[in-house]
Amino acid sequence: MVYGFTIATYVVAAVLFILSLGGLSGQESAKRAVWYGAVGMAIAVIGTLIGPGQGLWPASLVLIALGAAVGYQLANRVKMTQMPELVAIMHSLVGLAAVIVGFNADIMINTIADIYTANDLVFGAVGADGYTAIGLPQQINDGLSSFGQLIAKKSSVEITILRVELVLGIWIGAVTFTGSIIAYGKLAGRVNTAAQKLPGGHLLNAAAAIGSLVLVFAYLGGAGSWTLILLTLLALFIGYHLIMGIGGADMPVVVSMLNSYSGWAAAAIGFSLGNDLLIVVGALVGSSGAILSYIMCKAMNRSFISVILGGFGGPSGPAAEIEGEQIAIDANGVAAALNDADSVVIVPGYGMAVAQAQNAVNELTRKLRAAGKEVRFGIHPVAGRLPGHMNVLLAEAKVPYDIVLEMDEINDDLSSTDVVIVIGSNDIVNPAAQDDPNSPIAGMPVLEVWNAKQVFVCKRGQGTGYSGIENPLFFKENTRMFYGDAKSSIESLLPQID
Amino acid sequence: MKIGAPKEIAPGEARVALTPESALQLQKLGHDCFIEAGAGKAAGFDDAAYRDAGVSIIDGGAKALWDAVDTVIKVREPYEEEAHYLHKGQTLISFFWPAQNEAMLETCKGQGASVIAMDMVPRISRAQKMDALSSMANIAGYRAVIEAGNNFGRFFTGQVTAAGKVPPAKVLVIGAGVAGLAAIGTATSLGAVVRAFDVRPEVSEQIESMGAEFLFLDFDESQDGSETGGYAAPSSPEFREKQLECFRAQAPDIDIVITTALIPGRPAPKLWLEDMVEAMKPGSVIIDLAAEKGGNCDLTKPDERVVSDNGVVVVGYTDFPSRMATQASLLYATNIRHMVADLTPEKDGVVVHNMEDDVIRGATVTHQGEITYPPPPPKVKAIAAAQPKPKEKEPTPEEKKAAELASFKAQTKQQVSLIAVAAALLLAVGLVAPASFMQHFIVFVLSVFIGFQVIWKVAHSLHTPLMSVTNAISSIVILGALIQIGSSSLLITVLAAAGIFMASINIFGGFLVTRRMLAMFQKS
Repeated sequence: MVYGFTIATYVVAAVLFILSLGGLSGQESAKRAVWYGAVGMAIAVIGTLIGPGQGLWPASLVLIALGAAVGYQLANRVKMTQMPELVAIMHSLVGLAAVIVGFNADIMINTIADIYTANDLVFGAVGADGYTAIGLPQQINDGLSSFGQLIAKKSSVEITILRVELVLGIWIGAVTFTGSIIAYGKLAGRVNTAAQKLPGGHLLNAAAAIGSLVLVFAYLGGAGSWTLILLTLLALFIGYHLIMGIGGADMPVVVSMLNSYSGWAAAAIGFSLGNDLLIVVGALVGSSGAILSYIMCKAMNRSFISVILGGFGGPSGPAAEIEGEQIAIDANGVAAALNDADSVVIVPGYGMAVAQAQNAVNELTRKLRAAGKEVRFGIHPVAGRLPGHMNVLLAEAKVPYDIVLEMDEINDDLSSTDVVIVIGSNDIVNPAAQDDPNSPIAGMPVLEVWNAKQVFVCKRGQGTGYSGIENPLFFKENTRMFYGDAKSSIESLLPQID
Repeated sequence: MKIGAPKEIAPGEARVALTPESALQLQKLGHDCFIEAGAGKAAGFDDAAYRDAGVSIIDGGAKALWDAVDTVIKVREPYEEEAHYLHKGQTLISFFWPAQNEAMLETCKGQGASVIAMDMVPRISRAQKMDALSSMANIAGYRAVIEAGNNFGRFFTGQVTAAGKVPPAKVLVIGAGVAGLAAIGTATSLGAVVRAFDVRPEVSEQIESMGAEFLFLDFDESQDGSETGGYAAPSSPEFREKQLECFRAQAPDIDIVITTALIPGRPAPKLWLEDMVEAMKPGSVIIDLAAEKGGNCDLTKPDERVVSDNGVVVVGYTDFPSRMATQASLLYATNIRHMVADLTPEKDGVVVHNMEDDVIRGATVTHQGEITYPPPPPKVKAIAAAQPKPKEKEPTPEEKKAAELASFKAQTKQQVSLIAVAAALLLAVGLVAPASFMQHFIVFVLSVFIGFQVIWKVAHSLHTPLMSVTNAISSIVILGALIQIGSSSLLITVLAAAGIFMASINIFGGFLVTRRMLAMFQKS
């Protein structure tokens, strides 16, 4: 191989990428792991630039530098609460890049086919062994770019497979592209977060999917590049409509699902380019996103399909009536209870992120810990709008990560806890999930905060959560509602804690 | 309405039913308050304090007070002579013990007075504020521990000092009612190791919440406390044997025993037998809070402190609340005040003896010349019935083995079928696809495999960094664009250039933001 060295760099890069993902098993090793990933990427790019990508390499370098500048700005400007939006919008870039590379491959196939025709040769014809392509005469072949050469020596079967791969890459990439943009819009609050569907609902999606399939066969049958463009448009529509139909509360699943798609798109492109590194990385990212989606769905006790189809299924019977009333409490009452408590558990949710209350929460934690109280955090897997969202926010506010526990770690301890403060979360602490078989969230694992001696719910008003389900927790005898903006509420507690 | 408190005439009784504090509250309800001169002295309230609170002092002795007021409030049940002071239409509020004092009941009925027995207040949530039994039991429980400490020659808490190591005292509390729980709380806060026992298994949670260890008795027949208003009921002989066995095992290890076991309307059950006392270490202390009803311990003598042959102190005082007269009076007077508040619903000083009210009906033992004891059962149950816990059958070893085998088989079956399907699919692909594709396909399948293995280990808290890092590395599609940009076609070059630009934004943005996030994770 001419590019033996390039392949070697790919091997090194692939190993570094795997180490990079594996290193995320712990906070300390993760700090090292991110560098593995970055170095792996650098090696892969350099290996490509001095190998098959050497054409116009100065231009490539300039473009990379430009992208770097933009990326640097993005990474440093973004607030930690905006992390979900950032991740979503970056997925869209990967999707778009995959679409572009796919189209380029198609254009190149056409170009090569034209060259064949011009030389009165048959593209994809095989030689005497019935397997190896005959290829172009030496001098024409040498005139082609490295990508062109790659395609030029393919047999007709290989060309068909190449087309399948690039169609897949383009299709997934396009879905990812519009899907991510809509997800970004929903997370940033620029698009209505409620589940919305055009008239026709899923039938429209199904029709678009069938249309895509028809176009794929037309394209493979040699109908020309217009089918590809039409197919892309359909995929763009599916991405848009699919994500529009999913409510804000399901965003953790959506974002990880798009993460997975961007990986599969990269893998498909890798196949069409015959590039193993792309395949490896695409597969890693794809499976990572798939696992994350699975974990998120499990945490919500919903099947992946029902999330994708959007909205909750209708309840199987009337929801249990809630008796009692919500009793409000002021900062003095909460502060007095906190001063008396020995153990405190804080359950943050999306409301904390919205109110930017994480620093106030950290200050409260610090003060309570200084007073010798045991303070811990209970994090539900789907708290926030992104897997692990709460952990990142708390880390930003410098809450030590060893007191931030997962749901399963803390659930058993809640019954011996004096005070639980629920900050801006609702469905993840809803006892109806366990008590009321008719509840739409029945069976979803929840944080059993109601077992604690006292629960304070820090909430803006009396409304229901994202899922629109009444929360019996708010009506329990040991629950007090601490109404107000999370940040100012927590801040009003601070001077009273001693 | 005129409300007055006489001086308690029971020997050694230091409590008083009216405090200056409660007098102020009673006056707010529209009542006038009276007190016999010197009645509050033993509890630490002198006449001047009452006068400051607007209470009229009656100097002419007990009779003068009983004659002067419409409602008499007292602590102890009335003595014969006191009962004769009662006149028609008068109300007496005090402890009464109607079940044990039938003669007195008759006398009071004969006098035509209404009697409200504070010990008969039903145990429902609404009536907790006037539950004088609980407030007195609370004091008794606290005082029992203090009394034990007084008679115990060692520390409660364990210490390691320069002068040697001190082991913590081991305290056993029998009966986890209000007094028992108060004793547990006091003993744990003094630093002792506390164990507790109760025949009602549902109180184990309360015991553990106070910081004691619940001595669990493995016995099928358990009582549901809700049936008896939260009180214990007599237990079967088999249960009793089991229970004694458990105590016998504890005896040599325990330094202090506090017994509070009472069954309503019966003599106290004997739970700490002579042989258990003998098994205890010299210097150990037994505080028997049930002494008034005969005691839980064989050696208990009411109102006495006896020392056994092997040097174990058995305290049988019956006046623990009175030994803390100030505190006890404050709480008792508050209970009385709440009772009076319920009797004057309009807060206008007019007593309405509403026999329809569960609480008032339950506590009233004589009314309008009739004995109204025992009361009908209250309409509201004291505490919610305990949910019968679904009993899980302990699987036998064979069953366990069988279950394990079955699950292993199921797992194997699932895994094998999964592998078989996957292998069949792969082979099917291999039949049609050319070798060049299959080479890449192997790489793909193995990578998915590695991905699944690696990602499962990622910590939950790092899911956001995981997403941003996978996002960064999925920009590896930049390689495709890099390869294509050198093409002879201008269109391809332009598109590829755009691809490179976008992917590199992603690479740098993704890695930098991940690094920023990870740097924030700090250990405490």
